[in-house]
Amino acid sequence: MKTAPDIFTYKNTSQQEPAKGGLLAGKRVAIQPNMCARGWLTDAGSRALEGFIALEDATVVARLRGAGAQLAGSARMGELGFGLKGDTGAQAVAAGEADIALFTDTMGEARVAAAAYGLFAFKASFGVISRFGLAGLVPSMESWGVVARGPEDIIAVMRAVAGKDGSDPSMPDEEPPDLSDIGSRPVKGRTAGVIKECLDGLGVEEMRLFQAGLERLEKADLTVKEVSLKDFGLFRAVHNVIGSVEASSSAGKYDGVRYGHRAASAKNWNEMYLNTRGESFGTLIKEYLFQGAYFQFEDYRAFENACRIRGRLVRGMAIAMENIDVLVLPTRRLAHDAAGASTVKETYDAFSLTLYANVAGQPSLHVPSFARGPEGDMGIQLTVPRLADARLLSVGMELSSTAQGAERK
Amino acid sequence: MKYEAVIGLEIHVQLNAATKLFCDCPNRPGDEPNRNTCPVCLWLPGALPKLSREALEKASLACLALNCTIQPESAFDQKVYYYPDLPKGFQLSQHHKPLARNGWIDIVGEDEKIKRLRIHHIHMEEDVAKLVHEMEGRTPISLVDFNRAGTPLIEIVSEPDMRSPYDAMEYVKALRTQLRYTGSADCSMEQGTLRVDANISLRPFGTDELNTKVEVKNMNSIRNVGDAIAYEIVRQSECLDRGEPIVLHTRLWDPEKRVTMPMRGKFSGPCVPDPSVAMIVVTDDWLKDIRRRLPEMPGRKAERFSKEYGLTPDEASNMSQEREISEFFEESARQGIPPRKAASWITTHLVPALRDRDVTITETPLTSGRFARLLAILETGVINAHAAKEVLLQLLASDRSPDEIVETGKYRQVSDNSELEAIVDKILADHPSDVDDFRGGNAKVMGFLMGLAMKASGGKANPRLLKEIFTKRLG
Repeated sequence: MKTAPDIFTYKNTSQQEPAKGGLLAGKRVAIQPNMCARGWLTDAGSRALEGFIALEDATVVARLRGAGAQLAGSARMGELGFGLKGDTGAQAVAAGEADIALFTDTMGEARVAAAAYGLFAFKASFGVISRFGLAGLVPSMESWGVVARGPEDIIAVMRAVAGKDGSDPSMPDEEPPDLSDIGSRPVKGRTAGVIKECLDGLGVEEMRLFQAGLERLEKADLTVKEVSLKDFGLFRAVHNVIGSVEASSSAGKYDGVRYGHRAASAKNWNEMYLNTRGESFGTLIKEYLFQGAYFQFEDYRAFENACRIRGRLVRGMAIAMENIDVLVLPTRRLAHDAAGASTVKETYDAFSLTLYANVAGQPSLHVPSFARGPEGDMGIQLTVPRLADARLLSVGMELSSTAQGAERK
Repeated sequence: MKYEAVIGLEIHVQLNAATKLFCDCPNRPGDEPNRNTCPVCLWLPGALPKLSREALEKASLACLALNCTIQPESAFDQKVYYYPDLPKGFQLSQHHKPLARNGWIDIVGEDEKIKRLRIHHIHMEEDVAKLVHEMEGRTPISLVDFNRAGTPLIEIVSEPDMRSPYDAMEYVKALRTQLRYTGSADCSMEQGTLRVDANISLRPFGTDELNTKVEVKNMNSIRNVGDAIAYEIVRQSECLDRGEPIVLHTRLWDPEKRVTMPMRGKFSGPCVPDPSVAMIVVTDDWLKDIRRRLPEMPGRKAERFSKEYGLTPDEASNMSQEREISEFFEESARQGIPPRKAASWITTHLVPALRDRDVTITETPLTSGRFARLLAILETGVINAHAAKEVLLQLLASDRSPDEIVETGKYRQVSDNSELEAIVDKILADHPSDVDDFRGGNAKVMGFLMGLAMKASGGKANPRLLKEIFTKRLG
């Protein structure tokens, strides 16, 4: 297990006492270096932001502070938040350096990272938490992810940070979910649907683990039903095309003109751009940005098609969920290690089961220990329609006691 | 071969909103470099754009003034290209879903008939930073001033309805008049708050082909717009006559040499919907509110001035072209002075005086009340027209009343017979040959003698009495 200096890219040594008596009093929270905390190094794990010090707190960071949380520091993260290569957020919690780790969940990072360490993870509905102060990469898909030992801490974080923010006008103008009475009464709906197409391609052992997970769900009084979403396989392509295009645009601002690394010499500014960007980005993110630029400049039709299919997928999800209360999916592929993925394809392989929630903007909760075998915990994740975050977290509360039971076995 | 020009204009207009388009920084590009910047317009990590309500309202007023239909939904796209004047690798512009479509504006054509020129659409976008190229010793350096980055613009894209430099110039003038009326924009080509790009192609007369066009930029006055287009028409005609094909490209107008020169092809990137700027959804109530704020526009106002105040069409047009002037005229006319007299004084004396001083009426202490009072004094005969003009100039510089200026400045006209007779007699005695000339039948001499007498009285003689005395003496 790693120790603190390896886990944190910036460790908070400030003696300042956190606000007293808040929802998160006494909780230590690890953030990521793409979340602005005033005065902290905010380099998003990339040379492109080398030395960039945040000028102000992200809304989420300010709300955490206001709720009494103690900011432990910034964990390491995959470059610009794409994938989990080099990420240490979940380790920070597992190693006891923090109680809670915040993630940028762009394709399932929080859920997949938690699965590797037996932790819970939650990705909120799109638009429920302000993105102000998040140096993100894929604005239409990324959401804040929360990793913790149990759903209680996740719920406390959600209560502290969710809700409208005048600084983020991209948040839809709608009532945010009411998170006030989570867990206070038993969950009403108890039908869990399994999208049969999401199981296509799972290995024998993976199938066995997932089946075991479903049996545990049934023991926890949920009725498991099979549902169908024929296009499930398209989530990945849609995420890849739209995600890479948005990433290419978002990373356009990293040009070395105003901050970050700038190439030492160049004949003119075009060369300055080329050298700077060439030196600033790592190979994985470069590949992703190239893909995005390709779709932008050479195959815009593919992007338009992806946007259209995205709409169809969102409707397909709604139909699949018509007669069930939650959807249940495995969290990760055991054969595809997210932390070791070094190409875009490998990265997508590792997140193929989680990225649907980012495409559709739905909340998703990863529950550990339900589908664990000798090769590790595959995890199960639950999802509900967008903005039903409170109901999902209520289910999570009930399952957490079952999960603890599974842990002891 | 005889060719017909097909001309369309793309006009960028800087809105005079108080802030930039997506942040609260002051919209004052001319301030000390990089003073008006913040994390949003510098596009620092974590910043999010926040659309300015005022800019949206001013843009919408401009669209209504140009008879466009505001779209129920409009949205911003990222126009992707890399250049140091662009802090984020793309410009936010409404490419796929513009704010308004299908407008028009009327001009008086060369044949003196009303010609309606259509507007294809109007979209909002942010301006880019300003680059300053300097030398640091022997090393050329480029400095970036982000004061202008993110300031609000609208781009008005016409249909290719114009056929001559004249059409284009009249279109720009008419559009400028309309936009200034709304108070949304200053529209100064000289100061760069109105920028015109012209697309020009040629076709044989009598056909309706749309041929390859050439874009011309960098005209900093309306006259230059006309000259650049005229030059381009000749240049393209000569190309075609020589059998050279016209190639799609952009040219820069050189105002010194008065020619257009090809510029290096500017890379034009794709436009991707921006996921962070909220879509603009227009409600009926909001649109009604904007419509209510649209002032009476010059065309309609001119008609009303003709009807209500009995102005001739030319006078009515002169009195309604600029909103300030039109309001000043109307306030003056309401104070009981003859409207045509007010119009005539505004056109012949007030407007040229304002132009000489490079100010607008509201920048001077002159009020319609004091202007009306001056014309009333003139009517009573206490001062003559010459003196009235002098008093008017003083009214532009001080807030004293016209009566006070007339008294203290001794502008009161001389209507005392004996005083005037003395002047006349002296002039007649000094110019015997002219007197003979007059008596010999040269009536023009009277004007000359009147001028001398007026000068001798310090401009204060009552011209009517003066003429009577001359007539009597010479009769």
